[in-house]
Amino acid sequence: MTQKKKQNPTKNSGLSFQELIFELQKYWSTQECIIVQPYDMEMGAGTFHPATFLRSIGPEPWRTAYTQASRRPTDGRFGENPNRLQHYYQFQVVLKPSPDNIQELYLASLAAIGIDTKKHDIRFVEDNWESPTLGAWGLGWEVWLDGMEISQFTYFQQVGGLDCRPVTGEITYGLERIAMCIQDCDDLFELAWSRTKENNVTYGDIYHQNEVEMSRYNFDLANTDVLFNWFDACEKESQKLIEEGLSIPAYEMTMKASHSFNLLDARGAISVTERQRYILRIRSLSREVAQSYFESREKLGFPLVKN
Amino acid sequence: MLKTRDLLIEIGTEELPPKSLKSLATAFSEQMCLALNEVELGFNDINWYATPRRLSLLITDLDITQKDKEHQRRGPSLSVAFDNNENPTQATVGFAKSCGVEVKELEKLESGKGAWLVFNTILKGKKTNEIIPGLVEKSLKRLPIAKRMRWGNYNIEFVRPIKWMLILFGNKALNCEILGIKSVATSFGHRYHHPDALEIKSPSEYSNILRKEGHVIVDYNERLSLIQSQIFSVAKNNKGNAIIDPGLLDEVASLVEWPISFIGNFDPEFLKLPKEVLIATMQDNQKYFPVINDKKELMPLFICVSNIESNNLELIKKGNERVIHPRLSDAVFFWEWDLKYGLKSHRQSLKEVVYQKDLGTLYDKSERLVKTLSLIGEKMNLDIDSAKTAAALCLCDLLTKMVSEFPKLQGTMGRYYAKAEGENNDIAIALEELYQPRFAGDKLPKTLSGQCLAISEKIDSLIGIFSIGKAPTGDKDPFALRRSAIGLLRIIIECEIDIDLKDLLSTAASSFSNKSQSLNCINDVYAFLMERLRNYYRDEGFSADVFESVFAINISRPLDFHHRLVAVAEFRKLSEAKSLAAANKRISNLLKKSEEINSIKIKDDLLVEKSEIKLARKLENYKKIIAPMIDNHNYKSALTELSGLKKVIDNFFDNVMVMCDEPDLKKNRLALLSNLNSLFLETADISKLQD
Repeated sequence: MTQKKKQNPTKNSGLSFQELIFELQKYWSTQECIIVQPYDMEMGAGTFHPATFLRSIGPEPWRTAYTQASRRPTDGRFGENPNRLQHYYQFQVVLKPSPDNIQELYLASLAAIGIDTKKHDIRFVEDNWESPTLGAWGLGWEVWLDGMEISQFTYFQQVGGLDCRPVTGEITYGLERIAMCIQDCDDLFELAWSRTKENNVTYGDIYHQNEVEMSRYNFDLANTDVLFNWFDACEKESQKLIEEGLSIPAYEMTMKASHSFNLLDARGAISVTERQRYILRIRSLSREVAQSYFESREKLGFPLVKN
Repeated sequence: MLKTRDLLIEIGTEELPPKSLKSLATAFSEQMCLALNEVELGFNDINWYATPRRLSLLITDLDITQKDKEHQRRGPSLSVAFDNNENPTQATVGFAKSCGVEVKELEKLESGKGAWLVFNTILKGKKTNEIIPGLVEKSLKRLPIAKRMRWGNYNIEFVRPIKWMLILFGNKALNCEILGIKSVATSFGHRYHHPDALEIKSPSEYSNILRKEGHVIVDYNERLSLIQSQIFSVAKNNKGNAIIDPGLLDEVASLVEWPISFIGNFDPEFLKLPKEVLIATMQDNQKYFPVINDKKELMPLFICVSNIESNNLELIKKGNERVIHPRLSDAVFFWEWDLKYGLKSHRQSLKEVVYQKDLGTLYDKSERLVKTLSLIGEKMNLDIDSAKTAAALCLCDLLTKMVSEFPKLQGTMGRYYAKAEGENNDIAIALEELYQPRFAGDKLPKTLSGQCLAISEKIDSLIGIFSIGKAPTGDKDPFALRRSAIGLLRIIIECEIDIDLKDLLSTAASSFSNKSQSLNCINDVYAFLMERLRNYYRDEGFSADVFESVFAINISRPLDFHHRLVAVAEFRKLSEAKSLAAANKRISNLLKKSEEINSIKIKDDLLVEKSEIKLARKLENYKKIIAPMIDNHNYKSALTELSGLKKVIDNFFDNVMVMCDEPDLKKNRLALLSNLNSLFLETADISKLQD
């Protein structure tokens, strides 16, 4: 690995990584969002968090925001690429129903973290989202800040195969990229995670070793036989739980199956044809979970619906 | 005279999809035009405007009301309208009542077909401002939107959420509801420069006010040419020329309301990447315009079109440079990774990639290509060994990291990687040429290996997909077989490859494992190709009857077909063409009617009339002259030569009765005509030519 040139850590300014999270939480809590906590399981994106996936099903209103660690094993670069990580953070905002001023709310959140919308080139560029494993799709944009994609913005149309009524608006911030912009920093490992009087603790201080070791595991060492078994076991478990009408644990098993699949994908253990079949297997679990969750909320009389 | 006013319609939205913005706007204009015609409202002109956040129409001199219209309602027939005492019947009373008038106000209508009671009235035209909202709603509902979306808690569906609607008629904003959304009295400016309301006093001032106060150039074409000239001068200031892809220019014009172009740099180190990769990264990922120098080499520069007049352009420039760097680093990562693994190493992995469920893997396909190519190549002056290598390698680049990132670089990357692996130039080029022509009017393969490989691939796709019953139907062509077919025909004809389609089809079909299905579909594929050929020549400007004249004689070598077609088109211009075509039509009608011409041998002793003797003699001469011309595919000379027969043929028909009472004479004359007919048919069936 090449020696990285060290940036002067005192030089970079702007919010630290943790302050960025604080500010977003503060901003969205004033917008009547419940600040929930990251889910304690591996997932590919904040959308998988039950606070998004399950809550966007059915008629109950819901507003939430949270940070979520996201794992994409194939994006690992052994800590050598200053822009790519297999483990990174998303800040997720879910507004159901999507308010009329959702774009303005989002732009105000950028102002809250120090991005001057009159100086930067901020654009909403068409990007329609589809998650084949979640049986979900929506229309929306990626948000560009001076050409960098810093957020995904989606109006959910379907989740788990069910029509979204009302429509959930989802905003996903790519925290590392935004931090790079506001700290004017070209190497994410040099981002200030926190600042003390003496020095900065960098993103690299916390996660560089993690990237190196996890890339080794993801690409070279993950035991594929074991992963195939896990996938099968989680799928069976999920199906059993759906039969019991327990959508939440059934969904956890779906997420586990999904992560096993991602690891197998990174190991190159799944051929292109097989790949499609695995995706369909996860999707059919997601659909059943969604249906089961809807029915369980219906039985409870959709308690969050206010008259 | 009716009074008129200008009408402005502005639909404010969240950011619209850039690739369909223009078509949405023009469709809106067309639909509104239709709707106005339907309700018979006159206007002078209709202009459309489109930005990422608005679709607008300016309709000038629109009538302020519909014209009054005479209307007649027909009631009961006179014969049943009154009873014997001249009193109105029940039917008449009912009719008058339904018209809201007394019986005496009804009039009589008598015509040849009968007589009735009628009610004549004048329908008052409605006020335009009352019907506009309905027309706008109807037009919006008819827009060609691929995926409509819902938002919030509404039941409305549109391309993106609607933010506001301004309907300004004259100097008055209409207060109405369209698609469930209440109209407003103002417009709004640029998202960042002028997010507040913007008053428009009259429709004609719209684009000026938006430009001057709103920081929005609403006119799509004005914006497009502004961007173009900005890019041009930015490139020039940096001693370069911008590559402006028209599709990208459209997309960029659809992404900005207030374009500001600037130049950015990237590390010249990245210029070691294939230029196609750099261009794809800039154009596809970042919507940048690449810059080349006088030698047409890429410069380490890009032109970006931003949507804001920032007081700190340097900030935006730096941000964009920060984005392109990691993208290009990733491209280097893919490039080096692929070079390390090489192209050949992917060949075995092709076994894992399904081409089509019933047609095996990509590996199977590449094996078929090797086989088909060898068979075709035997008949041509092709370096079989290197062509076979090309066929074996040609699908391998689909598994490289670069092609999975940029699918449109398939073939191109194959060329680079094959060269890097030490394959000869011919092989490398063939890998890229396999995909040509990629679109209508695209260039064709230049090398013979490339041409043969492209032919093999296209014929393989056609037979394969037809054999599993997925031939194109109507406007459904998921495997783009029409494009394959036209590409195949263009290569054969324009690269002058003299190959027989039927041979080609059975050769290729024999390489399939589902041999019986693939052999079975040969006729269908052949017919499909001939249909495409018909379209090809129509697009090339040949008239349909010229095509028919060659099509009728079943020529399955497209190149030969082409020579004949060109000859017929030339022949058609000759003064003799018309009467010869008519004569041939007459001959083929005569021959069709008479079943008994089993012998075409002309008996000299049965030739009695002077004109038929002369024709028979001429015929013998011409047979000898024409034969070598046909052998050399010199159809033009053959037809020109044959036009010399016009006089003798005309004489023959003027003086000789073919269907005479003497059976022997009749038979002999028909045999003579049959010979004549065959002579023409050696080139084409010119009886198909229309006046």
